[in-house]
Amino acid sequence: MLEIKKLHASIEDKAILKGVNLSIKAGEVHAIMGPNGSGKSTLANVLAGHKDYRVTEGTMHYQNTDLIPLSPDERAHLGLFLSFQYPVEIPGVSNLYLLKSALNAKRKHLGLEEIDAIDFLSIVREKMKLLQMDDSYLYRDVNSGFSGGEKKRNEILQLLLL
Amino acid sequence: MTKPNETLENLLEQDYEHGFVTEIESDTLPPGLNEDTIRAISAKKNEPEFMLAWRLKAYEYWRHLNEPHWAHLQYTPIDYQAISYYSAPKKQEGPKDLSEVDPKLIETYNKLGIPLKEQEWLAGVAVDAVFDSISVATTFKDKLSELGIIFCSFSDAVQNHPKLVQQYLGSVVPHTDNFFAALNAAVFSDGSFVYIPPGVRCPMELSTYFRINARSTGQFERTLIIADKDAYVSYLEGCTAPQRDENQLHAAVVELVALENAQIKYSTVQNWYPGDENGVGGIYNFVTKRGECRGDHSKISWTQVETGSAITWKYPSVILKGDHSVGEFYSVALTNHHQQADTGTKMVHIGKQSKSTIIAKGISAGQAQNTYRGLVKVLAQAEGARNYTQCDSLLMGTHCGAHTFPYIESKNNSARIEHEASTSKISEDQLFYLAQRGIDTENAVSMIVNGFCKEVMKTLPMEFAVEARKLLGLSLEGSIG
Repeated sequence: MLEIKKLHASIEDKAILKGVNLSIKAGEVHAIMGPNGSGKSTLANVLAGHKDYRVTEGTMHYQNTDLIPLSPDERAHLGLFLSFQYPVEIPGVSNLYLLKSALNAKRKHLGLEEIDAIDFLSIVREKMKLLQMDDSYLYRDVNSGFSGGEKKRNEILQLLLL
Repeated sequence: MTKPNETLENLLEQDYEHGFVTEIESDTLPPGLNEDTIRAISAKKNEPEFMLAWRLKAYEYWRHLNEPHWAHLQYTPIDYQAISYYSAPKKQEGPKDLSEVDPKLIETYNKLGIPLKEQEWLAGVAVDAVFDSISVATTFKDKLSELGIIFCSFSDAVQNHPKLVQQYLGSVVPHTDNFFAALNAAVFSDGSFVYIPPGVRCPMELSTYFRINARSTGQFERTLIIADKDAYVSYLEGCTAPQRDENQLHAAVVELVALENAQIKYSTVQNWYPGDENGVGGIYNFVTKRGECRGDHSKISWTQVETGSAITWKYPSVILKGDHSVGEFYSVALTNHHQQADTGTKMVHIGKQSKSTIIAKGISAGQAQNTYRGLVKVLAQAEGARNYTQCDSLLMGTHCGAHTFPYIESKNNSARIEHEASTSKISEDQLFYLAQRGIDTENAVSMIVNGFCKEVMKTLPMEFAVEARKLLGLSLEGSIG
């Protein structure tokens, strides 16, 4: 499902990944461990397409699609989700608005109709119930003033939804 | 994968959507300005003697003034003799209803997305449409007149309500106020007039769509809004203009008068042609807007979303004369490419316990320069005056500039004045985070900018807010780094 072969990547001409090979099949759960600075976050960022990282060699395929030419949002549409270590705050933008825009961006990519506000609310409320999150989450600005735990929970909500 | 830099540049390259010229026969005066021009304008409009006298006095004053250059702006000198000062669509008689309006005009409105007919019924908005300096259609007049509300073109007001005009015209912005206000007083062609009688709450948003059309015609609108005791009115002003490659001068004057316990809310979405990406063409928007809280407990709120014009020079202000009067200024000014904006407000506290709030959001991209210039002035008698000011700037890319010039003068030591300011950039982290959630750069930028402006946007009436949101996204097509 995810095939990484001989992947080399660098940031500002400093090589970080030097020939990573990884093959993950559908349904498998993998944990990557290693000391600080060994490139775990770099690998995640490279997969997601962060522009500061440059792939110098090797290939990455997700469901047989070459990831390298794709922009971060296109990779996200394929189903690649990166839970952030430090989720970013976006002042003035409500969680609800972000979630709805993200879901609709994905639906548009899949050729589905955009979902309206009422249907969206019922879907998101269902997911929030699973995570025991109350409604106020929706109307707060994205990650603004969230505690560490709230931010992580919010990431999981996004993961469930998208 | 393209670099976000390039993507953002592309975003900002979007063409101006409303660039078209409607072909309608215009009754235009030859370029040039002298006493005869003013007599001709006044005669064409069949004005009473007091109007001509007022115009001539203003012209005489203007002749001896020099164009001001204190603003943080750069532009080629304006040749005031090369401008035609009057242009009106030709017509035999005034249209009595929409069916009598030139179909080409209706077509123009449709292109702008303001179908007048539907607007009447669906939006519940009365539109006094200013097209090339003259009002061609006024709707909902009957409904408003039942309440005693006067909402008409300035020319009609001069004909039908000369006493009100004479009493209030120039009482907030005298012709001696500044260079452009003097010019406007001398040559203004038309505009809107609103009078809300005592105790009346205007049941709908009053709206005027200004549109500059005839080539090389300076536009000199004049708007006068009076809210009598205990009255309330919300007024919307929206602007678009056809694309062209020569600079056009727009020097409007807006005067608001709020008597005791009255409230005026004035909202603007300004989207005039900003010039192309090289800074060629575009509107010079030199506007004087001022309201006077004349009575106790009166309130005036300005909300503006400024995305258009090559140059914007405007400071919607409030004179807080009444005790316990309230002035508000909410502003979003967005500049891209080579646009320049020098905008802000003046809050002059005269009445006791008068209060003012200023929230200004500036967004610059491309090579644009964005300046906030504000004055909070507390006079000696303004016991217990209070002001809160917040100025935030958002920068996109490395070639633009944001500048803040807050002036504070207080002559009363019981006054409380607060000023907060911040400058930030759209961060790559925010863009990457949103991209990872599947949102492309264009929408991500629009989302972040709208979030940045939220405090201002929420003060706009609903139907305007939707338009303004779109406009912000649109105006930024092409701008981050």
